Amino acid sequence: MLAITNLVTQFASIKALDSISFQAKPGLITTVIGANGAGKSTLLRTISGLERPSSGSITWFDEELTHKSVEAIVRSGISQVPEGHAVISQLSVAENIELGGLFRKRIARGDLTIATKEVYELFPILHERRNEPAGSLSGGERQMLAISRALVSRPKLLLLDEPSLGLAPLIAAQIISIINELCRSTGLTVLLVEQNANTALAVADHGILLALGKVVADLPAKEMAADSSLRAAYLGY
Amino acid sequence: MTPFLTAFFSGTAQGAIYALVSLGLVLVWRSAGVVNFAQMGQAMFTTYIASQLIQNNYSYWSAFLIALISGAALGALVDLGLMRPLTSRKNSQLLNSQSMRTTIPVIASLGILGVLKALAGIFWAGEERGFPSPVAPNAIKIGDTSLAITGFDLFVIGTVFLTLVLTTIFFTKTGMGLAMRASALNPEVTRLSGIKVGSVRTLGWAISGIASSLAGLLVTPRTNLSPNTLDLLLIIGFTAAVVGGLSSLAGSVLGGFILGYVISFVNVYSAPENVFIAILAFLLLALFLRPQGILGSKEVRSV
Repeated sequence: MLAITNLVTQFASIKALDSISFQAKPGLITTVIGANGAGKSTLLRTISGLERPSSGSITWFDEELTHKSVEAIVRSGISQVPEGHAVISQLSVAENIELGGLFRKRIARGDLTIATKEVYELFPILHERRNEPAGSLSGGERQMLAISRALVSRPKLLLLDEPSLGLAPLIAAQIISIINELCRSTGLTVLLVEQNANTALAVADHGILLALGKVVADLPAKEMAADSSLRAAYLGY
Repeated sequence: MTPFLTAFFSGTAQGAIYALVSLGLVLVWRSAGVVNFAQMGQAMFTTYIASQLIQNNYSYWSAFLIALISGAALGALVDLGLMRPLTSRKNSQLLNSQSMRTTIPVIASLGILGVLKALAGIFWAGEERGFPSPVAPNAIKIGDTSLAITGFDLFVIGTVFLTLVLTTIFFTKTGMGLAMRASALNPEVTRLSGIKVGSVRTLGWAISGIASSLAGLLVTPRTNLSPNTLDLLLIIGFTAAVVGGLSSLAGSVLGGFILGYVISFVNVYSAPENVFIAILAFLLLALFLRPQGILGSKEVRSV
């Protein structure tokens, strides 16, 4: 279980996360929704160690992550797919995938081969284009590649930062449904940050609503989706 | 021997060394984003170490090897001892601006250059001394005509060629090579892939240290060794790196050879005093025609 307790992350005097607490249960999809500037990306960046919290704690089961390095957090089984389909465009598709599993090469070479085969089965288009530079992929394919890079590290917790951002609705829906299937079939724990609340709440088990760095609602996804007053107050529709 | 062939052979041998210097610069530029002005200072220092060992009756080859190892150690030391502490201070107001973050390491590298020159002065009195070559510098003969290329030139070209092949294999075929390319291109995504970008960067400094140390060992039999002999080499190597495209390893090597030919042809067909003007003119021309370098790629921007 991922437990966030009284987490504060601030930039100069602005508190991007203002004492946030919530939990994400193992094997389920928890989605964090909220308007622009609510602190969603900062939350994921803090969990991954890219931003340092000024107080509070982040634990994954019994493991304290709060002051670990970015690399150590990945090695503990927590992988992030950062915002904006982050792939390395000058490297080939295959190299981007290889990169994600590189740190396990010496300890689990056999499993790495299997994991690579699995992501190619999940996204056959990537296998077709494996020798092309990642920069030549479409937005949707790039997002698939970014997810594949995270998956070959065999994460137990997958952090997704707005995977549908900038994608055609059909492609976005396809990617979200693949993540959903992955979670249901492998027991992967997913923390999904989305601006598109409808899409996210449709697949998630639990919803966290952030506004200006604070948790304003922590509800089962179905209840959150049904609560029109919450939507009107915080998401503006 | 026609003047053309003379210029060609000497250009190839010179170009091989420029390629090595340029390669060393590009390695650090790509892995750490720093133009390392101390590079030839490091080369000078490790060549002095080799020279000292040879004076103390070590064999040429053991001195050669120890110089390369010292080159790697010195490169890693510069990163661990200076560059990393300098750039990792998050709370420094000065480092908050991007331009200062890129300028400070360059200034620091100039400082290291000064320190290394001073140390060479203290340890070896800054004396100019010869440095042996492992191969007799006699001209190669085909029948009765002697070519404008010596056995030592062939040794230089061979060594540089081998280095380039090994570097290419390292970068394109090994996991560590992939990690180095990835760290240079996108440190954040690389860290999020579980790779220790800091260690990878230190390795880049170490490999660059080996390349420059090798350049020092290969150039000093011709120029003699003093704290200042290798300064010119840095200027030419830097020009070669810019001409080739600072971000491309292959381009840096190509740039080195092109510079070798430019200098050598100007030497033969014009006069040695015109070499500097030719380098400058060539650099300007290259920057006008292809500012991203011969093999450098333009910034890719997603839309």
